[in-house]
Amino acid sequence: MTRWLLPGFLTVGAIATLVLIVGPALYAVSLSFYDIPSLTSDPVWVGLNKYAVVLSSGEFWNAMWNGIVYAGLTIILQVVLGIGFALILNQKFVGRSLLRGLTFLPYLLPTVIAVLTFKWMVDGSFGIITILMHEWGLPAVNWFETEAASMFSVILISVWLWTPFVTTTFLAGLQTVPVQLYEAARVDGAGPIRQFFHITLPMLRPILTVIVLLRGVWMFNKLDVIWLTTGGGPLGATEHLPVLSYRKAFALFDIGSGAAIATLSFLVLMIAVTLYFRAFPMEEVK
Amino acid sequence: MKPIDKRAGLLTRRQTIQGIGGVGLGLSVSGLAAPAVHAQSKRPIRFLNGETGKDTLAFFAMAAKLYEEKTGTEVIIDSVPLGEAFTKLTNGIRSGTPYDIGTTGFIGQVLLLAEEGHIVPVNEITDQYEWGNNILFPIDEKVYWYPFDYNLALIYYRKDLYEKAGLSVPTTWDQFATNCEATVEGRQKGCLFPIGSNGATNWMSFGFMWAEGVELFDNQWNVILDSPELAPKAAAYLDFMARLYPTMPTGSLQASYGDVLSNVVAGTVAHGAYAGRVIESAERDNPEIAAQLDVMPYMDSTGSRTAANHGYDGWMVMNTDNSSAAMEFMNWMTSELIVDFLHTAPVHFQPTRLDIYDNDRWRDNALIKKHSGMIETMRGLITDESVVVTSIDTQGPNPDVRPGKVFESFALPEMLQNKILRGMDSDEAVSAAAEKIRQAVG
Repeated sequence: MTRWLLPGFLTVGAIATLVLIVGPALYAVSLSFYDIPSLTSDPVWVGLNKYAVVLSSGEFWNAMWNGIVYAGLTIILQVVLGIGFALILNQKFVGRSLLRGLTFLPYLLPTVIAVLTFKWMVDGSFGIITILMHEWGLPAVNWFETEAASMFSVILISVWLWTPFVTTTFLAGLQTVPVQLYEAARVDGAGPIRQFFHITLPMLRPILTVIVLLRGVWMFNKLDVIWLTTGGGPLGATEHLPVLSYRKAFALFDIGSGAAIATLSFLVLMIAVTLYFRAFPMEEVK
Repeated sequence: MKPIDKRAGLLTRRQTIQGIGGVGLGLSVSGLAAPAVHAQSKRPIRFLNGETGKDTLAFFAMAAKLYEEKTGTEVIIDSVPLGEAFTKLTNGIRSGTPYDIGTTGFIGQVLLLAEEGHIVPVNEITDQYEWGNNILFPIDEKVYWYPFDYNLALIYYRKDLYEKAGLSVPTTWDQFATNCEATVEGRQKGCLFPIGSNGATNWMSFGFMWAEGVELFDNQWNVILDSPELAPKAAAYLDFMARLYPTMPTGSLQASYGDVLSNVVAGTVAHGAYAGRVIESAERDNPEIAAQLDVMPYMDSTGSRTAANHGYDGWMVMNTDNSSAAMEFMNWMTSELIVDFLHTAPVHFQPTRLDIYDNDRWRDNALIKKHSGMIETMRGLITDESVVVTSIDTQGPNPDVRPGKVFESFALPEMLQNKILRGMDSDEAVSAAAEKIRQAVG
């Protein structure tokens, strides 16, 4: 009985992966070789034409750049803030457990609720922040009214939502760093900053490597926050590849271009991940 | 039946086999296992509804029940928000289980489905009635949908604020902008017209431009937005919108349908575009404001022409093996129950059929009676040939999918953003929009 258990589980896993991941992914890639002007029309083979059109369009490169900016800035802020919060929450103080729980709260919120709540808070007529600023005689803030402000706002929401994940992961890592290392450093006269850079950070490097990788992939593919707040606007200022792909396929009904953009996005990520592994080999990280 | 043999378990093998046989026989008799017999019975009509208001849903449940009682044919109503209806319709077609009747709010989708043979003409229903201007969109004299409302985007304004500031109803852009500026007071703003890349902007913000006589295509489908004749008009429209912008609340760049509705109903703006839903919402949530609202069409710069922006919705009979049954149901519903349907959103569902405006039962509705003046204004807009009734997706010499692509490309909202957000020169913004339209239509 038990000798069939492992092959059995493997078979189920392999079938599930093939049916739910590999199959749809290959189908999506195959769509990029066709011209499909509507969801009900017959596909016409166009080879690499969709890729040529997409790669020669300014909106693709604009979306690529926006994706890099959005993913890059959110990762940096999440990691910096996450480590900072983790260091604070690793100290002993009254109410630490409660604060640790509260810190994790944003991560538990569904994205749609967090985004809609934020939009309501900054609504130009009814938002609590708008009203308070008006009461205090402060000028209204254009949260989504300019290109830079829109990017800032979507980054702000993303950082607020996912920093707790980074905080919790680093907090777990901090608790594995041997206390003796800090004691020895103190004896040698190292202050908190030197302890952080010479003990904490090197010891957290394996976690940091994985976190940056995971958050990078997730943020580059993140659709919901941008779609729900700006829809990629204004004037494409927050449109990254997932939004562009979705818009092409389901708003403009150019399924082939949407699939080509998604495939290119996947390739870009593959290359980035490969380079990342070269720069930060996992074996070395161990 | 033999008693259960407790020693051998709950059922004996013989009892189990007998039981399975019995169930099988029962299924055969009931028709579940007899496709030939089943196929001869009436197949249910599958109706995809895109109007999800509480009263409208109740109406469809009632209509389905009545029809089944009357004819023995079951009508299955599936309801999704209108924005998701087309995807669900096409998914049904692709999966081989198409709906028999579908709802759409976009003429481009009707034309697309007609071109691909997925819907059938409904002339046998539409030919029975007289219709308002520019709503049937026939292709070679074949009508492929039954439009049930106009959903015209019009300008709602506050009569009390006008009275307080000594303002009169504007007939020119300059007068309108002056009124917007005069009604800004503290947190109350002058107007709200969305300028973001979304459907709300496409629907609510270009009525002024249509009134000015701007068109997107000539008779040969050439883009003429940047033609020597129309470019100055489009540029003037942008200058006018840039003048309105400082009188709008913060956030108009991303304002959605709901944002505009809530601002008008809450009384935080003196002017806002929408359809009759404004009245229904205001009557429900803010009756004091409802009593102060009136409506006006979009006007041009000189006071010589007015316009209203289409927002229509309609039903299509799909090309299935149940089309004739679906057509019968549609014929029955649109003749017997259309007034009941329209009453589920009495002001918002502005009738497309002219006979309904004189229908006593339709007029015998509290909201329609209360806002009869407004209703007459709305009726006048769809019968007066001098009023421009159009929208981005119905531009061009004849119904076509190309304007639909312009709608989805957000070329015109981006023209507004280029002017207002980036401070681009108006002529340049018009040229950029024309170029984007050319790219969109290919």
